Amino acid sequence: MQKFLRKSGPAYLFLTPWFLGFFCLALGPILASLYLSFTKYDIINPPVWQGLANYEFMFCCDRRFKQAFSVTFAFVFLSVPLKLAFALGVAMVLDKGIRAIGWYRALFYLPSILGGSIAVAILWRQLFDYNGVVNSFLRIFGIEGEYWLSDPNYSLYTIVLLAIWQFGSPMLIFLAGLRAIPQDLYEAAEIDAAGKWRQFFSITIPMLAPVIFFNLVLQMIEAFKSFTHAFVISGGNGAPLDSLLFITLYLYQEAFSYFRMGYASALAWVLLLIIAVFTAVAFWTSKYWVHYESDR
Amino acid sequence: MTQLTRRRFMQTTAAGAAASALGGRAFAQDTAQIRHFWWGNPERDRRTFAVIDIFNEAHPNIQVTGETVGFGDYFPKLTTQIAGGNMPDVIQHGYGAIFEYIERGAILPLDEYVGNTIDLSGIDDSAIQAGTFDGQLYALSIGANAHMAMYNKAMYEAAGITAGDGFDPYGWTYDDVKRIAVAVSEATPDGVYGTDDNTANWQNFSDFVVQRGGQLYNEDDTIGATVEMLVEYWNIWKDIRDAGGAPPGPASAGLVSADMADWGIVTGQTATTYQWSNQLVGVQALLQDPVGAAMFPNTADMVPGSYVQPSQFICLTRDTSNAEAATTYMNAFVNMTEMTNVLGLERGIPANTEARNALIPTLTEAEAASVEYFDGIRGKTAELPPPFPSGANEVEETYKRVATGVLLEQSSMEDAAQDFIDQANFVLSRN
Repeated sequence: MQKFLRKSGPAYLFLTPWFLGFFCLALGPILASLYLSFTKYDIINPPVWQGLANYEFMFCCDRRFKQAFSVTFAFVFLSVPLKLAFALGVAMVLDKGIRAIGWYRALFYLPSILGGSIAVAILWRQLFDYNGVVNSFLRIFGIEGEYWLSDPNYSLYTIVLLAIWQFGSPMLIFLAGLRAIPQDLYEAAEIDAAGKWRQFFSITIPMLAPVIFFNLVLQMIEAFKSFTHAFVISGGNGAPLDSLLFITLYLYQEAFSYFRMGYASALAWVLLLIIAVFTAVAFWTSKYWVHYESDR
Repeated sequence: MTQLTRRRFMQTTAAGAAASALGGRAFAQDTAQIRHFWWGNPERDRRTFAVIDIFNEAHPNIQVTGETVGFGDYFPKLTTQIAGGNMPDVIQHGYGAIFEYIERGAILPLDEYVGNTIDLSGIDDSAIQAGTFDGQLYALSIGANAHMAMYNKAMYEAAGITAGDGFDPYGWTYDDVKRIAVAVSEATPDGVYGTDDNTANWQNFSDFVVQRGGQLYNEDDTIGATVEMLVEYWNIWKDIRDAGGAPPGPASAGLVSADMADWGIVTGQTATTYQWSNQLVGVQALLQDPVGAAMFPNTADMVPGSYVQPSQFICLTRDTSNAEAATTYMNAFVNMTEMTNVLGLERGIPANTEARNALIPTLTEAEAASVEYFDGIRGKTAELPPPFPSGANEVEETYKRVATGVLLEQSSMEDAAQDFIDQANFVLSRN
């Protein structure tokens, strides 16, 4: 016990604010939603127990759930790798020791501070509107742009782009990771006549693996939970043609537009399970590609 | 999205400062706190806040505060408040969705207050009837409303089109719409079209169903529209679109369920937008060009499809803390001339005869046009249908989604029509 306290005590002490919030504010609603997911609950009348009916319906018959599922997955698998690659690229450029690096860091981090804000999503809508900035710019070169937001073939990409643009926090973490790689490794590689690419794949990537893994897990969870951008850009209902119907958006609509709190709770728990499974898979694969300093 | 105007910001700050200066308890004992929640637009919000000030001045023992959001955010926010058990005392409701809330017990009947705090003597019978469900009065109508095509007179005139000269605002057909829209498209700069594309406009389609002799919902709570009606209706608009009278499909797809600020007539992208008559005042407030009023178009058979209905109700909620004070306020909202004069016709034609008469000398041009419109459509409207089944709201959303696919030509019209019927019936059976 004494050893545990000495070793982990400070960590838990620092976590206290989070624990307080979790136990006092979050835990109750979480458990309540688990119960509600087995009921039919229209908010005004008391919930009625109906066993697994919500879950059965979701997987047997609900077309919009299938749509929401595929939209969410497309978003996660597109936005997370692209965002991480972009963040790493920018971090490596900044790592070169440019003048006024503090400014650049702040500048590149700025979009992430604006993060989930409504204003950014509205701005995005203005940019990609048919008569918006993007198409006006294209017109200078005689290119007729598309209906980026109202055409379901493009709408998801605009949101992926928005997600990538907010690369600030993984970039900062990458930057810290790059700084921690000992320079002598590169010097040794140079003496052995290894090219830049070779250095990148044989030194940078393996040395950064723990940081990449950390960013991957964090960004993946974030992407699954993404809500605000799709909500604002689609006008709250996943339009056009449900092409922006993220699971989060669907469950919001079921709960607050159609009075199906029970079903919405079931959707929320399925989303939680999906995130848990993907995180577990990431942890499992990490054994094969992530090596920590202390393991050696 | 509503804007926080300077005036409202000042009011809120002042109210907050006053509340903290007085100290909570003394304040609560002497004054009944009533919250009134509505969906609005800048013009409606301005008028309603002004009316609340008048009421508070006249009733020192009641303190009404107003809360407002845009229509799109209104019902989700209300639902959250229902879940939390903190609905405002007085809320605004439309004819379409109110029945669902009554059925679920969120709205209280008003019968016990009639004759006490609520005076119905001046109110039209039809308005009382519209607020009565299962023999009990649940809602006070705050204005009559009807479908209205709003057109930009300047753009129409540029194409040589004026009311009475080959254009009958109270009896135009879809063929007229096509002819006029194409002429207006040609007479206006590139990128401006004669009319909105109503493929995904549920209100217009619901008129069309009645014009074709059908009803939107059958008595057994199934969908009354048929595949044939949907296909015919969508083809009418495709025809107008293909002739250049309406914007390209993808452009219209982006405007399905848009807020007022994005409507075709307001942005100037089109010359005609199809909405509710009570919104004429709000639209005119945003436009320099004069706005004209016409009925929704009809088929050559001229079977009436539109009807006059209460635009909005005010209702008393289950969560009210002081029903007496709340109903006093509701009563004043429909009966007190000082207040109805400020509200004007912005929410529709008042249901109180006296309030209506008091308004006539004060009308603005747009308001006078609304009154004229109601005179013009008399005898050309259909009977008010029974309250919609629960799930009607979701059926409407489903329609808009499927029709967006039609605008984008994602599938054949026949398939889309069948798909809508199936989905709608499923929604109605699920509720």
